[in-house]
Amino acid sequence: MAKVKCAWFDFASCEGCQIELTNYGEPFVELLEHVEPVEFREAMSEKTTEPIDVAFIEGSFTREADRRRLEEIRERAGVVVAYGACAASGGVNALKNHTDDYAEEVYGEDAKRPHLDSQKALPISAAIKVDYEIPGCPMDKAEFIRVVEQLVHGTSKVYIPSYPVCVECKRRETVCRYDDGDHCLGPISLAGCGAPCPADGIPCEACRGMVANPNEAAMELVLKENGNLPERWAKDKSRMFTANHRGDA
Amino acid sequence: MKSYFLSDQNLSAFVEGLMSKYPVIAPVAKRSRFVFDKLVDVSELRLDYDTTILPPKKVFFPAKQDLIHFNKDGFTSAIDPQEQVLLGAHPHDIKGIAMSDIFYSDREYDNNYMANRKATIIIGSSVQNHYKHAFFGTMNADRGLTGHDAFMTKIEGGYAVDAVTEKGESLVALGAFEDATEAQVAAATEVNRKAEEDCPEKLNGTAAEIREKVRNSFDSPVWDEFAEKCFSCGSCNIVCCTCYCFDVQDEWNVDGASGSRFRLWDACLTTEFSEVTSPGGSENFREDRGERYRHRFMRKAAYLNEQLGGPACTGCGRCSGACTADIANPATVINKILEQ
Repeated sequence: MAKVKCAWFDFASCEGCQIELTNYGEPFVELLEHVEPVEFREAMSEKTTEPIDVAFIEGSFTREADRRRLEEIRERAGVVVAYGACAASGGVNALKNHTDDYAEEVYGEDAKRPHLDSQKALPISAAIKVDYEIPGCPMDKAEFIRVVEQLVHGTSKVYIPSYPVCVECKRRETVCRYDDGDHCLGPISLAGCGAPCPADGIPCEACRGMVANPNEAAMELVLKENGNLPERWAKDKSRMFTANHRGDA
Repeated sequence: MKSYFLSDQNLSAFVEGLMSKYPVIAPVAKRSRFVFDKLVDVSELRLDYDTTILPPKKVFFPAKQDLIHFNKDGFTSAIDPQEQVLLGAHPHDIKGIAMSDIFYSDREYDNNYMANRKATIIIGSSVQNHYKHAFFGTMNADRGLTGHDAFMTKIEGGYAVDAVTEKGESLVALGAFEDATEAQVAAATEVNRKAEEDCPEKLNGTAAEIREKVRNSFDSPVWDEFAEKCFSCGSCNIVCCTCYCFDVQDEWNVDGASGSRFRLWDACLTTEFSEVTSPGGSENFREDRGERYRHRFMRKAAYLNEQLGGPACTGCGRCSGACTADIANPATVINKILEQ
C-alpha cells in the first residue's frame, strides 16, 4: 500500500502541537511506516505545492489575510484535520475576542503596524471545510495517532467522547479538585484527554473545549460557592480556552 | 458460621499472612480521600476509612476492562482470573457487590465479570467512621449480607471475625485467631447495629413505598427542578456501586490489523449514552438533562427495585459526595418524592 502523503501547516499558534508529536517517539515512528510527511516545519525543511492526501492544520484563523492560504490548502488536500485547541476552537487566542483594545494592550505604540493586524480568533472551520477536529492544548498524542490510524486505514467515522472530564477523573479515581478545596472546569469540559491535569492536582482549564450544551450557569455557581472564586473570576474563568464556546461569544 | 477474635496486635501479622498468599486489595489513603488499592505494605491499610472514591466493584470489573485481543488470524479472550483478596468492604458495599452479581449473572451470564468475581475472596469490615453522606442505615437495611467469605467487626481490643464460607474459614490459619466469647459476639452485633443507627443521612419509606411513589412521579416537575443545576457529568453513575452499564469500543494498533476490544464504565447522565445512530445522523432519546436525571432515579428506585426487591442503592453516599452541584443525594430526592 502506498504511503499516505501528509503535510503539516501552522497558523496563529505556538506550534507546540507539532513539537508534541515529534516528542512522542515510538508510536510516531511506527506511524511513519504508513504516512509520508511532505511538509512539517518543526522537523524538516522541504515544502510542497503538490496535492496531498491529508493536511494537518494547527493554529487559529485570526487574520482575513490567511483565508486564501487556507483555501489553497483545502483545494489540494483530500482530507483536512484541524488539530490542537487553536485550530479546533480558536483556543487561547480567542481570549482577546471580547475586547477591542488588545493590540494596544499588547503592542502599545506599535499596535497600528500592518503585520500586527488581526481580527477575532476563530477555528479553522470558520474559513474552510474541516473534516476532523482533534482538540486539546496541546492535542493528545495518543488521540492524534488513533485518529490518523483510522484515517490511514479508511475509517470515515472517528470517535471522540462528548462527555465531560469528570467521567475520566472518576474512572481513574482522581480525588476531585473540589474535595481538595480547589476549583475546576471539569464538569463542562470535553473529555478524551484521560484527565491528566486533575490527577496531578491541577484544575481542568477546558483546553479541549466545552461539551455540547454546557451548564454554564451551574458552573459559575459552583466556581463561586464550592471553588470560592470571586464573582468576576467565576464569570471569566472559561475564557481561557473556550471563549468561542461561551454563551456570550 | 464460626466466630473468632483477632487482637489489634495480631492484625498486621494476619494481613501480612494474607499478602504472602494473595494480592490483597484494601482501603488506603489517597490525599483527602480513600481508595481500594493493592496493599504493598501492611502499614497502608486503613480499616478506619469512611468510604472510597470508587466502589469495590472495580476489583472484579475495572473501569476499563479488556475483553479480547485480536489480529488478522483471530482473537483471544482477555479473561484471566487471578485469585485475590478484597479486604475491608463495608456491609453496604457487600450488598452492592451482591446486587452487581445479580446484574452480571441473572439474565445474561457475563463471564468477563463473573470469572474475576469468583476468584475474589471477600473479607468485609465494620464501619468505623461514617462518610458524611451515608444513609445505609435506612436504605436496604433489612437486606441480608451475602456473597462475602468473612467479616471483621472492630470491637474493644481487636476484631470479632465471622468466617462465613469455607474459604473464609481457611484464612483463619493465617493469623493468631482465638474463639470469640459470647460477649465479643454480642459486642460486634451492637457495633454494626449502631453504625446503621448513626448514619448522618436518613431515608424515609419502605422499598415498596419508594417503588410506587417514584414510579408515579414520572411527570412531576421535581426532576427538572433538581436538574436545573445538573452538569450531565455522569459522576453520580461512575462512583455508584450498583451502576452496571458499559460501553464497548475497539482500539486498533497503528498496523491497522491488530488491536483490542475493551469496555468502559458508562454513565446514563451523559448525553452520548442515549444517542443512537439514525438515518442521516443521530438521535437522542433522552435529550433533556431533566429526562436523564429522572432516568437514574427511575432505574434505581423503581425499575430495578422490582428485580431486586429493594432499590438498587446501598446508601453509601458516594453519588452525593461526587456531585459538585449537590443535587444527586438519593435520600434528599426520594424523601422529597415521598412527601408529594
